[in-house]
Amino acid sequence: MRALVAKSPMPGFGLGMGITITMLSLVVLLPIGALVLHGLNFGLANNWQVVGTERVMASLFLSFRLALLAALFNLVFGVILAWVLARYEFPGRRVVDAIVDLPFALPTAVAGIALTALYAPNGLFGAFVRDWLAPLGNFLLSPLGVEFSGRIAYTQWGILIALVFVGLPFVVRTVQPVIAEIEREVEEASATLGASRAHTLRRVILPMLMPAALTGFALSLARAVGEYGSVIFIAGNIPMRTEIAPLLIVIRLEEFNYDAASAIGIAMLLVSFALLLVINLIQIWSRRRVGDV
Amino acid sequence: MTATIRPRGSAASATQTTGPDRTGQGRRLLAAAAALGLAVTPHVAAAQSLLNVSYDPTRELYREVNEAFINHRVAEGHDRPQIETSHGGSGSQARSVIDGLRAQVVTLALGADIDEIASRGLLPEDWQARLPHNSSPYTSTIVFLVREGNPKNLGDWGDLVQDGVEVITPNPKTSGGARWNYLAAWAWAERNDQDPREFLTQLFANVPVLDTGARGSTTTFTQRGLGDVLLAWENEAYLALEELGEDSFDIVIPSVSMLTEPPVAVVDRNIEDEAQGELAQAYLEFLYSPEGQALAFKHFYRAWDDSAADPEDVARFPELELVSIEEFGGWGQAQDEHFGDGGTFDQIYQVK
Repeated sequence: MRALVAKSPMPGFGLGMGITITMLSLVVLLPIGALVLHGLNFGLANNWQVVGTERVMASLFLSFRLALLAALFNLVFGVILAWVLARYEFPGRRVVDAIVDLPFALPTAVAGIALTALYAPNGLFGAFVRDWLAPLGNFLLSPLGVEFSGRIAYTQWGILIALVFVGLPFVVRTVQPVIAEIEREVEEASATLGASRAHTLRRVILPMLMPAALTGFALSLARAVGEYGSVIFIAGNIPMRTEIAPLLIVIRLEEFNYDAASAIGIAMLLVSFALLLVINLIQIWSRRRVGDV
Repeated sequence: MTATIRPRGSAASATQTTGPDRTGQGRRLLAAAAALGLAVTPHVAAAQSLLNVSYDPTRELYREVNEAFINHRVAEGHDRPQIETSHGGSGSQARSVIDGLRAQVVTLALGADIDEIASRGLLPEDWQARLPHNSSPYTSTIVFLVREGNPKNLGDWGDLVQDGVEVITPNPKTSGGARWNYLAAWAWAERNDQDPREFLTQLFANVPVLDTGARGSTTTFTQRGLGDVLLAWENEAYLALEELGEDSFDIVIPSVSMLTEPPVAVVDRNIEDEAQGELAQAYLEFLYSPEGQALAFKHFYRAWDDSAADPEDVARFPELELVSIEEFGGWGQAQDEHFGDGGTFDQIYQVK
């Protein structure tokens, strides 16, 4: 009989795999399994009845929309930041490099309170935006009929800022090592072959960064979708407007309505799974196109 | 998907640890884990300890009550008991007890939360009849905290729905205090020939932020400078004045408000033996003693027995019409009708 798994010359496969499966089951599969099981017991139609209501839909839409926007923002600015950190030598580079990790280290509640204090109408940035930026913007945009209230904290802007904050390190930290390993010769070869700088960037550098950047994007997105601790302080938590899906889950729990809470949880899980799947497919596609980097 | 993730080796902060160092770290980690394991299974003599699971704004009160009660027990010739108190949003505290937190005593913001614990069989359904005054050793009410000088001239509930007035209240779904706020506004509307649903819809249209707990709202109002009026527990409002200075805020007493009864109960199922049961009972009865009542007065609660209280603490409470929860059919009914899934509060946000 042929072995199910081809024998590897590396020793320790059995032990390593055993530990992996056990850990994965205990840490990841068990809680998710419990959640899905709870949902199955509740019944498909009942789950849909909970999720299909206007308010739950609004909060899910808000959570995923803002998480996507924040992840996109982090994708663009994270790649630029990683590029600067990996490619240039400048005084204070190590300090900047260390600062990037702060959102990882800071307890999210602390981040939320700090951001709220800054962006509240009486905070440092909040007052600046209200007194200077918003009037200026409204003056410039007034022909378009757009009006900005001048409030950051307690609006969707506040949520977006918190999500950008917690998600930034993911893109930087995944892209930075890849940039550091790109060999200069590749760019030089491109230049000698007559490509312009923009062309080199677009056709040589970016395709090589693409898989790592997408991974960072996916991580940043996943983090933003589930973020509760920091958002809760800066969002106004007004139903239909600034109520994120994780808060709605907590509210259902406060009502002792475990079924509805798990239904919303499962809905978030499914959408996240679908998003990550799409991102993975794009990654596979981009690897096929440019070859593995 | 993570094929391209590499360790941060190439980042500036790479630190390489050598072999022996690493095993040392491992051993330390093991020791830490072992210590943690010990820490989560404490072996305290159960009879001599109590866990009181309480709600948010009672921190200051129970700090003093616990101390006074311990001295009281020692003076009576008992062993020195160990009293612990845990604080948080009333609803989530109740959920912790339901989910297995071994609290022998609960002192929560409203009867509905203890009803919920009782419905899981942890204490008898008629718990509220076991102690005097609906098991509420102290009561409070809902008042307005406004900015110094009351610039928007807010005097009663009716003023809160004016254009341009911002009202700060926590979310009734997550905060016990906020449910009392909601019902107080409802009671006022009923007494003033207004449609209560319509009135509350207008009121919540003026609410820019719904914090999850009473303390969060107090912070939003006092520290973040948001809003013109905070709907708050009377005791919390006085505390804010005391902590933040009387020259930045004023208290406004509306014409009608709720008689808020934060009840207390022994959780029978979590009592391990007779001695602990006696201790828990004595703890709650102490709250009704002249000494306990004086402490409640001191911490801005409206208590019942002022024989040992400082007359100044008693005199500072103004008179107003207080509505009992019985007018709403008790918490069992009020909870379902107003704050349950699809209740009147949910309907406010469904009409678009």
